Amino acid sequence: MKARHAAPLLAAAAVLLALPSGLTDFWIFITVEVLAFALYAVSFNVLLGYGGMLSFGHAAFFGVGGYTAALFVKQSGLPPALAVACLPLAAMFVSAAAALVIGFFSVRRAGIYFAMLTFAFQMLLYTIALKATPLTGGDDGLTGLKPPGLLAQPLAYYYYTLALTGAGLYLLHRFVSSPFGHTLRALRANPLRVQYLGIDVRAHRLAAFVLSGAFAGLAGAIFALSNGNVFPGWLDWTASATPVVMAVLGGTASFLGPALGAAVYVVLEVLISGRTEYWPLAMGIIIVILVLLMPEGLTGLWRMGVVRRGARAAPLPTREAR
Amino acid sequence: MFELIAQHFAWVQSPVVLARQTLAGVSNGMLLFLISAGLSLIFGVLRILNFAHSALFMLGALIAVSVAALLPDPLAGFAAALAGAAAGLALLGAAIEISLLRRIYRAPHEMQLLLTFALVFILGDTAKLIWGPEEHSVAMPAILAGGVQAFGLVFPLYRLFLIAAGAAVAAGLWLILYRTRWGILIRAATMDREMLAALGVNTRGLFTAVFTLGAALAGLGGALAAPVVAVGPGLHVQVLIDAFAVVVIGGLGSVLGAFIASLLVGLVNAFGVLAFPGLAVVLTFACMAIVLVVRPRGLLGTAE
Repeated sequence: MKARHAAPLLAAAAVLLALPSGLTDFWIFITVEVLAFALYAVSFNVLLGYGGMLSFGHAAFFGVGGYTAALFVKQSGLPPALAVACLPLAAMFVSAAAALVIGFFSVRRAGIYFAMLTFAFQMLLYTIALKATPLTGGDDGLTGLKPPGLLAQPLAYYYYTLALTGAGLYLLHRFVSSPFGHTLRALRANPLRVQYLGIDVRAHRLAAFVLSGAFAGLAGAIFALSNGNVFPGWLDWTASATPVVMAVLGGTASFLGPALGAAVYVVLEVLISGRTEYWPLAMGIIIVILVLLMPEGLTGLWRMGVVRRGARAAPLPTREAR
Repeated sequence: MFELIAQHFAWVQSPVVLARQTLAGVSNGMLLFLISAGLSLIFGVLRILNFAHSALFMLGALIAVSVAALLPDPLAGFAAALAGAAAGLALLGAAIEISLLRRIYRAPHEMQLLLTFALVFILGDTAKLIWGPEEHSVAMPAILAGGVQAFGLVFPLYRLFLIAAGAAVAAGLWLILYRTRWGILIRAATMDREMLAALGVNTRGLFTAVFTLGAALAGLGGALAAPVVAVGPGLHVQVLIDAFAVVVIGGLGSVLGAFIASLLVGLVNAFGVLAFPGLAVVLTFACMAIVLVVRPRGLLGTAE
């Protein structure tokens, strides 16, 4: 992590730590949602922004994490202190296992075919969630979930979420800064060349897919217990666009851009869907504006502003051209 | 154990059941073809996977509801509904291609998918604003409402009409694609767009025309389906998944592949309901997953 990033990051951490004292329970709940989706969007963007892999079925892992957390608090019967520690690990483990199976088939293809494969597997999991009623509650989902022990208090759960999201983002950042992460970026730029260098392309893609799936599952688990329920709708086809929108909204070219996108998306959804039932229409219009006018996302706009004010240079080239 | 299985599959020996399910499967397959033919054609030429295609189908059905209500004579109303839905969707398709899609042909995949995804939400909610959240229906014209007696059972006439209509559209598409200059251009664009443009063909206009044709087919499909489905804002969701499965199985960009896969998915659904009640959807996905893993380009698709 570069030194120039340290100050803003520390400031952000301080704000997040102090935030609950200035917020009502409702907004603490929303902030938990923002943090969970921030982790979800960043984990998704490790695939898209770094590896150039468009997963259009990432909601599968978010949903698997959510269902795992729900079943864990309902069925495991562990003492609360132990459950608090094991819950994230269980969710990550099960999502990683799901990602291993789905990824095994999906990473063989690239581009739009990869997107379609992941989408198809997500729909398959959706059908399972809908039909395996004894396990998943079918159409009704799993409801009445409570975080174990002390975490049942909103404030405690907020700090639990903050710690898990912080740790998740830190680990993902370590991953993308590692040699492995650099290989992943090379894969986005030129897979054929990476292959000629003797690197196993498929294994690298699969490893990235599993890692990304595990953290998406963690995000799903966090959100499930805060929300108090899990529904098959989490795995529905409309859900597959959510992480894509968040990542593109924030900007796929920066590590924390998708987290910003998640925050803006969640707050917009709360504000707009509280006033009208036509939130999908509003979101559709937002996406059209995003795609046509600001494909570099919010961080892209900001960077363009900095470049223009500072060096009077041309705007940054698009992701494709770079 | 074997007796149970034998009991479960006893319908296999009943010609009446077999004939009935085959007819239902083929006629549903024909409806699927009307949607997936356009979807496949659009992907082949524009290289865009149009998530909004099922929303266009739904709008076709809704326009049919409104147009049919305008005319007092049911037969004239139905004919007008078919023409109106196809024409209306052709206009909408042209507008969408010119105002939105044209701008993103060079954008990364995620931008293209997001844009057509956004259209699903925009068109779905707009339909809700115009036609309301409730479900509508279209009356079948009297000459198509009855049944035909054959092999000791009654075939609903409208199902036979759907099969004829699907076959007519398939034949029409074949004529366009293989017997006109325009069809040659479309097939050439499917193979190599840049080369076609370099040869001096106006690909810009061709893209608009293909999207318009695809949208018109979806609209026609929606209007044809209107008398046999509940026409409401939720219609496009079920259609989307099936149409998606069809183009993947048939091969993205191949109209003939879409035709075969439509019949396959229609029949798998019709018999799957009997063999594995409640799991028919999984069967469609199983077909799709097997094809994607074993032959990712689909039955008749071209290699990436």
